[in-house]
Amino acid sequence: MYPFTYHRPASLDDARARLAASEDGRPLAGGMSLIPTMRFRLSSCSDLVDLNAIDGLAGIERHEGGIRIGAMTRHAAVEASAEVREAIPALAALAGSIGDVQVRNRGTIGGSICFADPAADYPAGILGLGASVNTDRRSIAADDFFTGLYETALEDGELVVSVDFPVPERAGWAKFGNQASRFAVVAVMVSLAGGAVRLAVTGAKSHVFRVPEMEAALAADFSAEALEGIAVASEGLNEDLHADAAYRAHLVGVMAKRAVRAALAP
Amino acid sequence: MYVGQAILRREDERFLRGRGHYVEDITLDEPIAHAAFVRSPHAHAAVTRVDTARAVGMPGVLAVLTGADWTAAGYGEAEGVWPVKDMSGADARTVNRPFICTDGVVRCVGEIVAMVVAEDRHQAQDAAEAIAVDYEEKPANTITARALDPDTPLVHPAHGTNEVLVTEHGLKEETEAALARAHHVTEVVVPTNRVTAASIEPRCYMGHHDTVNDRYTVWTTNQAPHIVRRYFTKSLGIPEHKLRVIAPDVGGGFGMKLYHYPEEPLVLWGAIVSRRPVRWVGTRSECLLGDTHARDHHTVGRMAFDEEGRILGVKFETLGAFGAYESQWNASITNAYHFTMLSLAYDIPAIHTTVRGVYTNATPVDAYRGAGRPETIYQVERLIENGAHEMGIDPLELRARNLIPAEKFPYQTAIGIIYDSGDPPALMEKARALCDYDALRAEQAALRAEGRWMGIGMVAFFDMAGAGPVKMMNDLGAKIGCYDVASVRVHPDGRITVFAGSHSHGQGHETTWSQIAADRLGCDIDHIDLVEGDTDRVPMGIGTWGSRSLSTAGMAVYTAADRVVAKAKRMAAHMLECAAEDLDLADGEFTVKGTDRKLSFAEVANASYHSGDRPADLEIGLEETSFFDPADCTYPSAVHVCVVLVDPETCAVTLRDYWAVDDVGTVINPMVLHGQVHGGLVQGIGQALMEECAYDPESGQYLAGTFMDYAIPHAEDVPSFGLDSHFTRALGNPLGAKGAGESGTIGAPGCVANGVIDALWHLGVRQITQPMTPKKIWRAIEDAGRAQQ
Amino acid sequence: MAEASVTLTVNGREVSATVDPRTLLVHFLREQLQLTGTHVGCDTSQCGACTVHLDGRAVKSCALLAVQLEGADVTTIEGVGGPDEMHPMQTAFKENHGLQCGFCTPGMVMKGIDIANRHAAPDEATIRRELEGNLCRCTGYHNIVESIAAGAREMSG
Repeated sequence: MYPFTYHRPASLDDARARLAASEDGRPLAGGMSLIPTMRFRLSSCSDLVDLNAIDGLAGIERHEGGIRIGAMTRHAAVEASAEVREAIPALAALAGSIGDVQVRNRGTIGGSICFADPAADYPAGILGLGASVNTDRRSIAADDFFTGLYETALEDGELVVSVDFPVPERAGWAKFGNQASRFAVVAVMVSLAGGAVRLAVTGAKSHVFRVPEMEAALAADFSAEALEGIAVASEGLNEDLHADAAYRAHLVGVMAKRAVRAALAP
Repeated sequence: MYVGQAILRREDERFLRGRGHYVEDITLDEPIAHAAFVRSPHAHAAVTRVDTARAVGMPGVLAVLTGADWTAAGYGEAEGVWPVKDMSGADARTVNRPFICTDGVVRCVGEIVAMVVAEDRHQAQDAAEAIAVDYEEKPANTITARALDPDTPLVHPAHGTNEVLVTEHGLKEETEAALARAHHVTEVVVPTNRVTAASIEPRCYMGHHDTVNDRYTVWTTNQAPHIVRRYFTKSLGIPEHKLRVIAPDVGGGFGMKLYHYPEEPLVLWGAIVSRRPVRWVGTRSECLLGDTHARDHHTVGRMAFDEEGRILGVKFETLGAFGAYESQWNASITNAYHFTMLSLAYDIPAIHTTVRGVYTNATPVDAYRGAGRPETIYQVERLIENGAHEMGIDPLELRARNLIPAEKFPYQTAIGIIYDSGDPPALMEKARALCDYDALRAEQAALRAEGRWMGIGMVAFFDMAGAGPVKMMNDLGAKIGCYDVASVRVHPDGRITVFAGSHSHGQGHETTWSQIAADRLGCDIDHIDLVEGDTDRVPMGIGTWGSRSLSTAGMAVYTAADRVVAKAKRMAAHMLECAAEDLDLADGEFTVKGTDRKLSFAEVANASYHSGDRPADLEIGLEETSFFDPADCTYPSAVHVCVVLVDPETCAVTLRDYWAVDDVGTVINPMVLHGQVHGGLVQGIGQALMEECAYDPESGQYLAGTFMDYAIPHAEDVPSFGLDSHFTRALGNPLGAKGAGESGTIGAPGCVANGVIDALWHLGVRQITQPMTPKKIWRAIEDAGRAQQ
Repeated sequence: MAEASVTLTVNGREVSATVDPRTLLVHFLREQLQLTGTHVGCDTSQCGACTVHLDGRAVKSCALLAVQLEGADVTTIEGVGGPDEMHPMQTAFKENHGLQCGFCTPGMVMKGIDIANRHAAPDEATIRRELEGNLCRCTGYHNIVESIAAGAREMSG
């Protein structure tokens, strides 16, 4: 690791002030991705501003419009939440498929979406469920949040405070994990709400994306069979040790069907 | 009797309480400095400048050392301990793995260019980053199959070829004749994937130079500390009596921790220069890249069958990877441990193999659990499996027709090696019953009718374990003597310390060696302690590798204990005024046969050290040492069967069941035996399904540098195992024991591969290169579908 | 960069220290507290050899900074079991031969206790799934699974 100054603010205002005052400050949430990349000296910062001591950033609330999850809520809490399991079981399933138990005890939803790893699970949850990301200064729609490889719409110093998930009529999560890292090779979140379908894919490109052809077919007939014959082009899909583009394209179709079946499961 | 009992392990409590003592845990009176290394980022490059000026003055930096400094110090190189001559009679074109780049060329990613020693790990890393190295990239090849192609870049141009050596073994004419007259010939291209041991403990070394007494100490994650001491005579030129090598608790070795890795002498060199103890703790990335890799053979095999499916002959042509340099033991893998075992458990009249060792711009290859035999078994068994399918004979039935019958033992294979004992048909029948084979075939057919893909894989093989004897292993190329050593020291109070030249890094010697010794000494097992892993305390040792410890070091314990008993009996006989032959030793007491006259073992031990009333020709003391050279290798055998399910959509493999029936001769501790088999199986399963030290074929960059890319099996990836056994005694050692450490690893790759092919045969799939990842299985099915259209 | 101070409880004992902020919890435990039972087996928090309990839940001490743990309660392998008797999970590993080289073992035991804390009678599939963050290269997992099942029975009994 390169040297940095550590801060442990007790309030959001204090965190903002410390980030603003630093030359190249970074917020630290769960640290499950950030700390290993710092260990590798692949990322560095002048100041590390730890958000873990700030009250009010963690927690799960059910309200009329849906579910609000605080940015510092651990994956394990989402996985275990009775509210989430009742309202959006697919989201609990997603949280329960991230990393491993130890990682889920520490990693946070806010940290995950800000890091925006191309193979992370939460981005598909955000986009596939049509969530909105609330920051210390605005609310950002899911479709606008993820902008590229490890890139989001967040401005310098902007902090995610919570994520609002509308409650769909149905949603399903299906993940095909990498044999080594357990990150998604391809994972799909699909949801049906008021006749509208959202289907988001993570792991397959630089960042999470929707598949309009599949959404249209599912809007007409929300069944796995409706996806028969809809292929995702392999051009532009990721290629790595675990999957080439053609296999990934195939997996998008398979995982989309499985997500739909999961959504339809009683 | 302790031998044969599932005695709980006596070493466990310290590990379970976090009191294990690994190299990284050791503290000294002086603060320990840290080493960091500058490594080549290129597969092949000229090093045109190494500028250390900025690093030298940085905070905490104690020493900055380069290849030029190494050369100036006049140090040497790594010794090849298993050199093999080319069949032409010439020496192989050996280029030893360098410790640090001294000739201005790096030939694989990760090769060390410079070292920094600093007060703490951050300072060492900062200074390593401040060393400026200029590289001029050269064309590189990391792919073994391409090594001898005419346009492939040469790793060592001075040799004019990438070929290290060529060897041929077996009956060439008979094999060609068998292929010519065969009813059916099966041909398969069977590359074996490049994998690595990936012990969970990373390699770690610490060096110390006591300048006052001119003594050196090295703490090392190594399986054979006395051999490390020998290595240092060649590398740093330190005489053996000046160097103490300590291999304390070691967190898994698997053959990979057997070598004089570059960091080992460099750390001691750093300690000499900086006058401080220096430690290097490998990161996982450094280890996945720098630990020796393994396997990586490219083989074309042909097998001849008669009408009944009897094997008439088998022929192999192999390119065997060396990597960029020759690692110390690697030549044995493509030779002593490959051709010798090509008959597996089958009565094959004609076998011929040609192996060409080749250089590529990749990490050096060396032994990893099984070393040569996983490749061999996989290759032969893939041919048998495809042959059975092509001929329409049930795969188990075809194998059964070819097994060596019990009455043919001792059995000399067509390659010349003699299996001393075994009963493969009995193993096969037990395996058939254990898995309920007919029911599995019925289930497979029923599932296939539903569009679900289930496969049944199997293998039947022999292993060559327990290296020695010394002469035989010398003849096969070994420069080190393959015996082992134990001392049994009876203290005056009758308690016992056993010193053994083996090294336990998971095998449980504190338990099993004590079981052997306690039985021979007629004492309570709790009266025995074991010392291993310290060249100042253990007289000599060849170390733990090649499933050899029991039949060499274990037998040395047995023999030394018997000598102790013989001497103690003479003392006891003198004290009891009887003949030594009239004494029984049991439960810690010498008893005159047929009487109640007795003496405790402790009384005799005390008298042995302190009594002047003794036979005139009986020397004082009670301690014996055995340098045990076994009469033969040991030849354990096994039959494995597995069931795989292939997901028709994702092409992911679920390994549902796995059964292994082993013949390892006399069992010392069945609990420990089963643990060895379980662990070995999962390493073999990893090779079959997920592990690959992958390089980018164009850039030569290493792609598997973390556990996020190099996949080793998780608990969820494997089933619980069904084990059974059928034992025949080994004839080469009085215990009757055969080595058991590698059986699982060497059988599983072929077994799982055959299961996957069996599941997909009806789709036209005939071969998939390991690891059989979902990506490759999907591609194979796609290709087979296109071919059938 | 400034040194930072931290006060936390480790194995029931309050510890105050000044550390380089870069110090990982695992290195703090090993090098400043000499609790060397917690191991480092990888750089990417895959292997789980560094598993400890933080406020009663299993975490990977190689992906936490020591300075983050102000006021936290950390339990390591040295903190389970008494001076004479081992913890039932440790005993179960011994009785079921759930360890070989011992390097992954402290992490496995800490994970096993964590599993038992949340599942009274975990079945084989549950244990295997729960072990997704712990790698072992010696045992093939067979006996680790049996050890954790036995330890959990003992803990709930």
